[in-house]
Amino acid sequence: MTDWTIQALGRAIAARKISPVEATQACLDRVARHDGRIRAFIRVDAEGALAAARTLEAELAAGRSRGPLHGVPLAYKDLCCVPGLPTSCGTRTSDYFTSPIECTATARLRDAGAITLGKLNMTELAMGPFGDNAHHGDVQNPWKPGHCSGGSSSGSGAAVAGGFALGALGSDTGGSIRLPAACCGVVGLKPTYGRVSRAGVMPLSWSMDHLGPLTRTVADAALLLEIVAGHDPHDATSSRRGVPYYQRTLDGPIAGLRVGVPENFYFDGVTPDVDAAVRTAADVLAGLGASVAPIRVPDPRTLADIGNVISRSESAVLHERLARDRPHELQPAVRARLEIGFHISAHDYLQALRLRSRLAREFLAEVFAEVDALLAPVIPEPAPALETAKSGSVDDVVARMGRFSRLTRPFNTLGLPALAVPCGFSGDGRPLALQIVGRAFDEATILRLGHAYQTATSWNHEGPRL
Amino acid sequence: MSNADKRVSAEVAGLAGAVERVAVDLAIGEEPAGFVVALEGDVKSAEPRD
Repeated sequence: MTDWTIQALGRAIAARKISPVEATQACLDRVARHDGRIRAFIRVDAEGALAAARTLEAELAAGRSRGPLHGVPLAYKDLCCVPGLPTSCGTRTSDYFTSPIECTATARLRDAGAITLGKLNMTELAMGPFGDNAHHGDVQNPWKPGHCSGGSSSGSGAAVAGGFALGALGSDTGGSIRLPAACCGVVGLKPTYGRVSRAGVMPLSWSMDHLGPLTRTVADAALLLEIVAGHDPHDATSSRRGVPYYQRTLDGPIAGLRVGVPENFYFDGVTPDVDAAVRTAADVLAGLGASVAPIRVPDPRTLADIGNVISRSESAVLHERLARDRPHELQPAVRARLEIGFHISAHDYLQALRLRSRLAREFLAEVFAEVDALLAPVIPEPAPALETAKSGSVDDVVARMGRFSRLTRPFNTLGLPALAVPCGFSGDGRPLALQIVGRAFDEATILRLGHAYQTATSWNHEGPRL
Repeated sequence: MSNADKRVSAEVAGLAGAVERVAVDLAIGEEPAGFVVALEGDVKSAEPRD
């Protein structure tokens, strides 16, 4: 059961072929067997999960169903405030982040019938793309132990890939949903800025943070997005725009959709296997009727620089107390990245925010006049070995972090929806992934493209052997 | 100056330079909230359900 999709498990539970308690116990058993090695969880809440499962089982027995998530076990990045569970944010302090309100997204999932298995490991303060964590253990790539799971939502990617949870939530400030999804061979969706409430979630950069699902299939991501998306009075940045029924349009034709493959930047310096896998995926979409063509996009390096000014400034303000009072608790590379923000001037921060407006407007006008979506790699190379990622001086590590997340960060500056989908494996079995980027609030189109690709291929059919 | 200080100075200078290069012709009327306006105005999405 643990290798099922959310949709399949939801149907089986609704048909009373498997009970919420059985489903939850199966996940907990798998976690107990394998997570000592993978390190996907910071905290497993077996007691709470089974209690919730028993309640949901009783509801079903009484003829009440909350819908397709009824009894489905999920898990959440340990920066979501879930009642009764501490929120470490990957730091040494088990309750680093407290919030007067619970995480809106996890509350919506719980109300829809999802069961909370526990809180997932992550890069310290969500600052790092590799998934290493000196306090809670480096998250191992389920496909290739000793290799990065990707970060910062490292536990989210590994838990879904490893069959510990049917789906997970992660956060994405510079690629932190898409990078672990790519490294772990699962689907990851960074929605449009404002599409999903960030209330009750540790902020890293309020201008750049996004919350979204990691799942085994695009269809499951659509299901979770449908539940967590929508305005929230607790998050002033959440959009009042209505939420489409994403699942209803998933199977729509992609014939005629215009897909642009960037001819500048996005394939520069990527490894041949990544290049070939993404270009082959473009051929698959073309074969399904999409109109695939090269496109020149506005310079992503400028977008990344402007985004860095904003996110560094905001993260330094938010986590100043830890960085100033207890710097010895922080991993050196995290401390080094936080430090930058203390030296950026108010002038440059405000100019960057003003520039972001113009750059977003120009990008939308130039690019989406030509195409309906962009197709690019997520990671420039398959998941590197953990020891390689962590080796060398702090400067070396920080520079390596920047290079590894260079293909995802521009879309955080732009706030556009971006979907990571598995598209193959390297010669030694490490997952490869493509990234589909759409117009603002047009998650429906990128989900449709991703679903069409996944339906035509089989990369997500088998999980790793743990 | 320590190596760490040098690195911070270099990175901050690099980011400031990036801002300066692209901000040279930034309109007076440009404001941060324009970002959300740009996103909300870029609509060609599936039919809302509510």
